Amino acid sequence: MSALPTPKPRWPLRLARRAVSPALFDFWATRFNPLWTLEQPLARLVSRTSASRDAVTLVLRPNAHWAGIRAGQHVSVGVTIGGRRLIRSYSPTVLDDGNLAITVKAIPGGVVSQHLVRDARIGEVVSLDAAFGDMTLDEADAPLLLLAAGSGITPMRALLRDLAAQGMPGNVDLFYWARHHDEFCFTGELKALAAAHPRLRVHFLATREGDAPAARVDAMSFDTVTALHERRAVACGPAGFVEAARSRLRGTVARFDAEAFSLPAPTAVDEAGDVEVYLTRSGRTLTLSRNQSLLEGLEAQGVRPAHGCRMGICNSCACERQSGTTRHLLTGDRSSEPSTQVRLCVSAPGTDLILDL
Amino acid sequence: MSHTRNRPLSAADLDAFGEELDAIRARVQADIGPRDARYIRRVVAGVRWTGVTGRALLFLGAFVHATLVPAWILGTLLLALSKILENMELGHNVMHGQYDWMNDPKLNGKTYEWDIVATGDNWRKTHNVQHHTYTNVRGMDDDIGYGLLRIFPEQRWRPFYLMQPLIAVVFALLFQWGVALQDLRIGRWLAGRMQPGELREAFRPVMRKVGKQVLKDYIVFPLLAGPFFLPVLLGNVVANGIRNLWTYTVIFCGHFTANAEIFPKEVVQNESRGHWYLRQLRGSSNLTGGKLMNVLTGNLSHQIEHHFYPDLPANRYAEIAVDVKRICVRYGQHYNTGSMPRQFGQVIWRILRHALPSRPRVLRTGEAIA
Repeated sequence: MSALPTPKPRWPLRLARRAVSPALFDFWATRFNPLWTLEQPLARLVSRTSASRDAVTLVLRPNAHWAGIRAGQHVSVGVTIGGRRLIRSYSPTVLDDGNLAITVKAIPGGVVSQHLVRDARIGEVVSLDAAFGDMTLDEADAPLLLLAAGSGITPMRALLRDLAAQGMPGNVDLFYWARHHDEFCFTGELKALAAAHPRLRVHFLATREGDAPAARVDAMSFDTVTALHERRAVACGPAGFVEAARSRLRGTVARFDAEAFSLPAPTAVDEAGDVEVYLTRSGRTLTLSRNQSLLEGLEAQGVRPAHGCRMGICNSCACERQSGTTRHLLTGDRSSEPSTQVRLCVSAPGTDLILDL
Repeated sequence: MSHTRNRPLSAADLDAFGEELDAIRARVQADIGPRDARYIRRVVAGVRWTGVTGRALLFLGAFVHATLVPAWILGTLLLALSKILENMELGHNVMHGQYDWMNDPKLNGKTYEWDIVATGDNWRKTHNVQHHTYTNVRGMDDDIGYGLLRIFPEQRWRPFYLMQPLIAVVFALLFQWGVALQDLRIGRWLAGRMQPGELREAFRPVMRKVGKQVLKDYIVFPLLAGPFFLPVLLGNVVANGIRNLWTYTVIFCGHFTANAEIFPKEVVQNESRGHWYLRQLRGSSNLTGGKLMNVLTGNLSHQIEHHFYPDLPANRYAEIAVDVKRICVRYGQHYNTGSMPRQFGQVIWRILRHALPSRPRVLRTGEAIA
């Protein structure tokens, strides 16, 4: 399924957009239906089923503002916990009725994943952002080598469903790693797909199971894969897995694309040394010191972010920290919640950062 | 003019004073959570419900003539209440970034737009940056008399100020327009220190906002009442007027009471964090009156706490005040608070007194840092 163009809204909606603010419209409209908003894509949780020992599959029904997603892409889902909207990215599968299925694994210490796996109520409303990601298939008949570890299976599942709908035009091998057998998700579905489509082969690899644990990606031979050098490899999993896959396959495949998902950033961080800070709007990467405020560090490199008081009170320098950990210079607090506003003048970098600047 | 006895604080005292106040910030920051989110969402609901009820009553009065007077009065008051709540407890506080932690785009400090002719962007600059960083510093904090009034003897007297008792009343009635124009610095343009093109450029977003507000309050809603245009229009004018008078009163009580002080520009050079806190304390004054007063003033009844922690959720100020007061007592610093009639009486006295030539009585910079 390809991304749908946003349809031109009907005239009542166009008029409403000119006449009222989203804040006003949404306040009253959501009294009647929690999904009725002027602009914001939202979705309601309609079901939750167990997907493996520590993962669940949630089905979300998006509202009319959801513009769709291509197989293999991701979406940022905003979940409100304790009054705070926390953003996490998932790779959903679009179901036949247009609903989105996301599979979430409970991560120890993961506030959002634990909430979604255990506590989220049916009917709960989450926010959605526009879909993003480059792991999409442009030529459906190109031979593929799909590599997934843990939750990295979710975009692969979406890709495979998409390919299956097109009759599996090319050869596809899926290598799917987990530690134990009961951590595999979609086993039934994947086996059924493989049974129905001779061009698809699925390999389940449990690395901590029984007497003969499966090889990890760096030791995997890929002997059974035909015409490896013609394959486009697509990998998804934790950063360590993706890097291992990249170096294992370097020079042996036609193309390598990957997406790594980040685990919760460490909160105990050094106060000395340097980090890399990536600025998304200017596309620059700078090396900044950990013992200096971000504002001072950026200014020393010739970047001039908007700012005011330089002491953490006026909020002029607030900008979104998309990922990484920062240290509040007045309170010493560490914060690593993705997609959060930080004040550059009273925050020092703790880890590598991505800032919306 | 100051009649208080503040203990002179050494540089070490000031550092300790600042650290204790920073510790309150850290403690509250760590505790921010669902309670604060619930509070601001209740305020949003309060703004919406009072607003819609007020407007509905104005229409009721217009169409059902038997109810005209009571419905008009109640409707106007509710609409005024809605605007007061929106401007003070919601808009002002949200624009400080107090609820940014919720990550709700509708409560984002840098993008929020409020129900008043002044633009949020101008306010973020004149108020959040200039006023809050350089509170009561002469020549840097434009809120000292808003370039229109002489509130402190340190301001140079000019014959123009003889008219200020009258000007102050007009300014109060039209306060939202004063706030809208504050950042345009028309005075500089009149004095020929600004190019007309520069002023036009600055005027554009203000005119857009003014147009929107005028269209909403004075054209669309009155027109919806058809032949009964006039009472609805009048209700909107009066509601905006009540909001103007109330916000003016609250804001003037915050920094212009008898014991509030102003400072020369030199203080901000190499100012320590402790001294910055002390300056906020000496330049601000609170209002007593309990929970209702707190809500109606957007918690500016805790002006001192607001100036210490402008970015902490305002619903926390009342509980923070207990500790702040205790710290001030321990450091021998006057904690300026009083009822609204008392504090505003002092403001009126200042406006009257300093319309005439006056001279500062004590040199206060030497007192601040011993």
